[in-house]
Amino acid sequence: MEALNGWWDDFFWGSVVVADVFVVSLILTVLFGLTGAAAKLSKNRVAQSIANGYTIIFRGTPEILVLLLFYFGSAIALTAIAQISNPEIKYVDIPPFWAGSIAIALIVGSYATETFRGAFLGVEPGQIEAARALGLSNFKTFIYVRIPAMWRLALPPFGNHMLSLIKDTALISIIGLEETLFVAEQAIATTGKPFTMFIVVGAIYLGFSTIITLSVVVLEKYANQHLKIAR
Amino acid sequence: MIFDFALIVDSIPKMLAGFWMTFELWFLSAVLGMALAIILLLMRISGRWYLYAPAMAYIYIFRGTPILVQIFIIYHGFPQLEFIRESIFWPILREPFGCAILALTLNTGAYVSEILRGGVLGVDRGLKEAGAALGLSSTHRFIYITSPIAIRLALPAYSNDIISLMKSTALASTITLLDMMGIARTIVAETYAPYEIFLSLTVIYLILTWIIQKSIGLIEKRMSRHVRSEA
Amino acid sequence: MIDSELTNIIQLENVDKFFGDFQALKNVNLSVKKGERIVVCGPSGSGKSTLIRCINRLEEHNSGRIVINGHELTSDVANIDAVRSEVGMVFQNFNLFPHLTIIKNLMLAPRLVRKASKSEAHDTAMKYLNRVKIPEQADKYPSQLSGGQQQRVAIARALCMNPEVMLFDEPTSALDPEMISEVLDVMTDLARDGMTMIVVTHEMGFARSVADNIVFMDEGEIVESNPPEEFFGNPKNERTKLFLSQILSH
Repeated sequence: MEALNGWWDDFFWGSVVVADVFVVSLILTVLFGLTGAAAKLSKNRVAQSIANGYTIIFRGTPEILVLLLFYFGSAIALTAIAQISNPEIKYVDIPPFWAGSIAIALIVGSYATETFRGAFLGVEPGQIEAARALGLSNFKTFIYVRIPAMWRLALPPFGNHMLSLIKDTALISIIGLEETLFVAEQAIATTGKPFTMFIVVGAIYLGFSTIITLSVVVLEKYANQHLKIAR
Repeated sequence: MIFDFALIVDSIPKMLAGFWMTFELWFLSAVLGMALAIILLLMRISGRWYLYAPAMAYIYIFRGTPILVQIFIIYHGFPQLEFIRESIFWPILREPFGCAILALTLNTGAYVSEILRGGVLGVDRGLKEAGAALGLSSTHRFIYITSPIAIRLALPAYSNDIISLMKSTALASTITLLDMMGIARTIVAETYAPYEIFLSLTVIYLILTWIIQKSIGLIEKRMSRHVRSEA
Repeated sequence: MIDSELTNIIQLENVDKFFGDFQALKNVNLSVKKGERIVVCGPSGSGKSTLIRCINRLEEHNSGRIVINGHELTSDVANIDAVRSEVGMVFQNFNLFPHLTIIKNLMLAPRLVRKASKSEAHDTAMKYLNRVKIPEQADKYPSQLSGGQQQRVAIARALCMNPEVMLFDEPTSALDPEMISEVLDVMTDLARDGMTMIVVTHEMGFARSVADNIVFMDEGEIVESNPPEEFFGNPKNERTKLFLSQILSH
C-alpha cells in the first residue's frame, strides 16, 4: 500500500480529467440523442435515413475502433462518417480530450437516440391534444409538455447511458488521455505493482458510477413526485 | 487524400484471419457468461440474504467499472499476487486468451443476470398466482411458467448485450491477442494507413453485429408468435 | 368443534387480515358445507376478494383459524400445497398461461402435481374441455380465444385437478356483456352437479337462481348472510338495503 504514496495527487488529477470528459460528453450525448430522435421522428425521409445510418453504425462498431478512427481523425475519416451522420464539421488536429469526448458522445448518443425516440413516442397523445386545444403553439407544446413528459420516461435508461459514458472514458487512455488508467500505467512502471494500481483505478470508477446511480435515483424521485398516490 | 484500395484488398483477408479468435472470444464468453448469469440470478431472487447480498455486490462492481480495467486487473494485475501464481489456474491466467475469456465472462455474467431478472420481474403476477392456485410448487412455477415467459421478455435486451459483448472482444487486442482488431492495429502500425484499415474493419464488424441482431430477431419472432401484442 | 369440522368443508373462525395498517378482514366467521353454493357480494374494498384469497393462501390471514377439508391453513408449505390441489380458483383476468396451448394449460398441473401420465392428463383435459363446450380450441393459444372462451378454459383448467371446492373471484367482471352468460351457464351447470362453490360476483341474477346462501360484506365484515329469498326480499341491515338499492336500481 505504501507504493501508492506520492501517487494520490496524480490519481486525483486523473479523476478530474475523467469528470471533465464526462461533463463534456454528456452535453454532446444529449445533443446528438435529441437531434437523432428528432430526425427519426420527423417526416423527412432523408433525415430519417441519416439518423438510421447513424444509429446502425455507432451501435454496431466496437468503441475502441471508433476511438482509434477518431484519433487518427483527419478530415477524411470525419467526412466519410459525416456522410452518414448529421452535421458537417471539419477538424484538423484533435487533442485526445476532444477526440475522445466526441467519439464516446457519438457512440452513446446513438443509444440515446433510441431512448429519446421511445420516450417521445410514449408521451400520451391526449396531453399534446389538450395543449394544442388550449392554444399553445407547436414550439411551446414541445418545451412545456413534450420534453417534461419525455424526460420522465427517458430517465431510467438514460441513467444507464451516463454509466456507459463514464466507463468509456477509460478507453480514451489508449489514445493518450491522461486520466486515471494512464496514471496507473506510469505508477506501475515505477512501483511494479499492477494489481494495486489497477484496483485503485477500478475503485475510482466505481465511485463515479455510484455517484451517478445515486443522482439518477434522486432525479427519478423528483421527476415522479407528482405521481405519488394519495392514500 | 486518396484511398489506398489495394491496401484494403490486401488487408481484409489478413484481418479475417483473426475472425476465429474473435468468434471464440465471443462465443465462449457468451456461454460461460450465461451460466454465471443464471447462477447469479438464482442467488439474487432466492430471498436469502447470504445469497443475494454477495450477488448484488458482484453485479454492482462488475457493472460499475470499465471492462478495460477489469481486463487489465486480470491480465497485468493478477501476476503480482503470489497466491494466483501458485494456484492451479495459473496456466490459464498466464495466457492472454484465458485472461480475456475470464474478464469477458465475469463482465457479461453481471449484465445478463440483470437482464434475466428484468424478464422475471416482468412476468404477470396473476400467472404466478394461477400456478400457485393449481397447487404447483414454487420450483415448478419458476420452471414451467416464469422462465419461458421471462426469456421471451428478456430477448431484446439480451440481443443488445450479446452485441456489446462482440464489440468488447475488440479490447482483447490491448493484451496482445490477435483477433481482428489486434491484426488491424498491427497492420496500421506497419503501414501508417489507419483510415483504410479501420474503416474496412468497421464494415466487417457492422456485418457481424447485423447478423447477430437479425438472428435474435428471428428467435424473438418465433417465440412471440402466439402472443397477441398489446394494443 | 370436531363435529362441525367434519361436516363443514370450509371453516373460517375469527379471521383478521391486515395490509399494513389497513384491516381488510374483521373477525370473519364463515362455514361452508359440502355441496353448498355461496355468493359473496359487497362494495369495492369490502374484503370479498381478500376473503377467498385467504382460503387458498394467496393471502395470509393474520389471526383466527381457517380449516379446509380437515387441513388447517398455517405456514406449513406441504399443507398449503395440499389445500391448493383440492381448492380450484378462477380469476377475474383468467390468467391462462400465454406460452402454452389450451390443452397444455389444462394438462400442466395434473402432470406436475398429481403425477398423471400424459395420456391420463390429456383425457381429463378433453373431458373438461367438452364440459365447458369448447373442445375444438384445444390446440389454440389463449391469445386466439375470446374473453368468454378464455374464462371457460380457466374453469376447465381448475376442474382438471378434481377439486372439492371451486372459488370464483369476480369471474365475469372483465368480460364484455355478451360473453357473460356463456360463463354463467357453465358455472350454473357446475352448481347443478353438486360442486361446492364460493363465488364473488355482482351478478345478482345468478345469485338469486343458484346460491344457497348470499353473504354481504362491507368494510371487512360479514354484515348479513341469508338464503336468496330472505336476502333480496327482506334485508335486515341498513347497509345491505343501501347496497341492494344501488345495484338493483338499473
